[in-house]
Amino acid sequence: MTKITEVKAKVEAGKAKLVPGLVQEALDEGSAAGDILQAMIDSMGVVGEKFSAGEVFVPEMLMAAKAMSKGVDVLKPLLTGTSTSSLGTCVIGTVQGDLHDIGKNLVAMMIESAGFKVVDLGVDVSAEKFVNAVKEQENVTIVACSGLLTTTLPAMKETVQTLKTSGLTGFKVIVGGAPVSQEMADEIGADGFAPDAGSAAVKAKELVSA
Amino acid sequence: MLTKKQNLMETIKGGNPDRFVNQYEFMDIILEVPVQLMCPPGSEFKNSWGITFRWPEGQLGQFPVHDDEHKVLKDITEWRKYVKAPVIDNSDEAWAAAVAHANSIDRNEQFVTAFVAPGVFEMCHHLMSMEDALMALYEEPEAMHELIDYLTEAELNYAKILIDRLHPDALFHHDDWGSQKSSFISPAMFEEFYLPAYKKIYAFYKANGVELIVHHSDSYAANLVPYMIEMGIDIWQGVMTTNNTPELIKKYGGQISFMGDIDSGVVDFPEWTPEIVAKEVERACKNCGKLYFIPNLTQGLNFSSFPGVYDSATEAIDRMSKEMF
Repeated sequence: MTKITEVKAKVEAGKAKLVPGLVQEALDEGSAAGDILQAMIDSMGVVGEKFSAGEVFVPEMLMAAKAMSKGVDVLKPLLTGTSTSSLGTCVIGTVQGDLHDIGKNLVAMMIESAGFKVVDLGVDVSAEKFVNAVKEQENVTIVACSGLLTTTLPAMKETVQTLKTSGLTGFKVIVGGAPVSQEMADEIGADGFAPDAGSAAVKAKELVSA
Repeated sequence: MLTKKQNLMETIKGGNPDRFVNQYEFMDIILEVPVQLMCPPGSEFKNSWGITFRWPEGQLGQFPVHDDEHKVLKDITEWRKYVKAPVIDNSDEAWAAAVAHANSIDRNEQFVTAFVAPGVFEMCHHLMSMEDALMALYEEPEAMHELIDYLTEAELNYAKILIDRLHPDALFHHDDWGSQKSSFISPAMFEEFYLPAYKKIYAFYKANGVELIVHHSDSYAANLVPYMIEMGIDIWQGVMTTNNTPELIKKYGGQISFMGDIDSGVVDFPEWTPEIVAKEVERACKNCGKLYFIPNLTQGLNFSSFPGVYDSATEAIDRMSKEMF
């Protein structure tokens, strides 16, 4: 097993204490920092797929993300100048009237692990705050709106429509949360829908690459 | 006509109920205990463990606050420094209202029901945030076992007082173990960390006169049902449609019963109508059948967030009883 393959396996297994050392060993072996980063991004993709399939649960996903983050810390000095967020910036938040943050945090983590820079606006975020974040942040390519309550679906609709009629361009809007469906996403004019954190990262990449 | 209590027993024992058990009708839940559980909308409070809860105006419930300033347990390895079980006021005066309520209940008709919330799993993440609590299961398993043991002992100490004061016939115990689509942790992890705690807690109640254990988790938790049975739960309240309740009844009926299958989110919202409620009630009753099932909103107490929904469901269930029994 090459060191880079080992990095990949240990990120997937959530071994946060082992990954930094292995990343260093992979660099010492001559692997390029960008390749090691890509291997870790691929690992998180696998973890996301397993989460979507119900094969792993929230703790495993959190541990894998932590392992990757520790590995990225080792790579950071070497990645200066070569952006780690080539996919752009994702602005994420739970819509107004809703304080649930666990699902939103998982999506933020997976989207960051997929290669986006993530700006987390938190919970109970107004449509205006989403719009302001798109204006203020650089290169926003994705806006992700989360909502867990049926009662906050009108707020999600308002957020999507406010973003779409703001005159701002260059980004796609993705929505998710327990009461949200593809049908509902289409109805309110969102560009994408994802049923869970793993597929949210896949969908975000797909929308940006389209 | 059977009493509410008899009808419940016939339903969960696979006998001959004469109607559907209608939501929470079999339990008279005693909430007048000297432990503050909730704050009014638009306010916040610190509970006896030091956990701050906030209920912003216009929201449907309260949430624990976990910023650096408010998080109680900042380092799991030092949990003894941060986590101190509160002393429960066990004076006659403090328990007078609860005891009077218990004494007013006709025990032939309904179960005198003690209420406990939050449970051990929720206590862990209320103290330290969900992310910290779940990662600690991997990173500091020994400390988590110790913390869970400590929380279990605290629950048992409270149980002793509840039993001594109220002599409950039933326990209604809250602890949410999943999201709407999956359990928060794997079955193996649940078995290692939380099953032993609940086996102790529920065995203690049963050894002290409690006939019926009703556990609330309005979530997916189908993968945890074998452990629910092992820990002594008689009724899982809050079972959501995502669990495929008819399938669970087929597989586990006789060992445990299921209460819910009417997802609150689908019927309990500002634009609700009696027709939407009736349609969901009919679906639930027809799909799940007469035994090992209690049609009920998945919400964890006998009311709805929007006025009229709970009562509308009650009426719809009565109509289904007339049609199906």
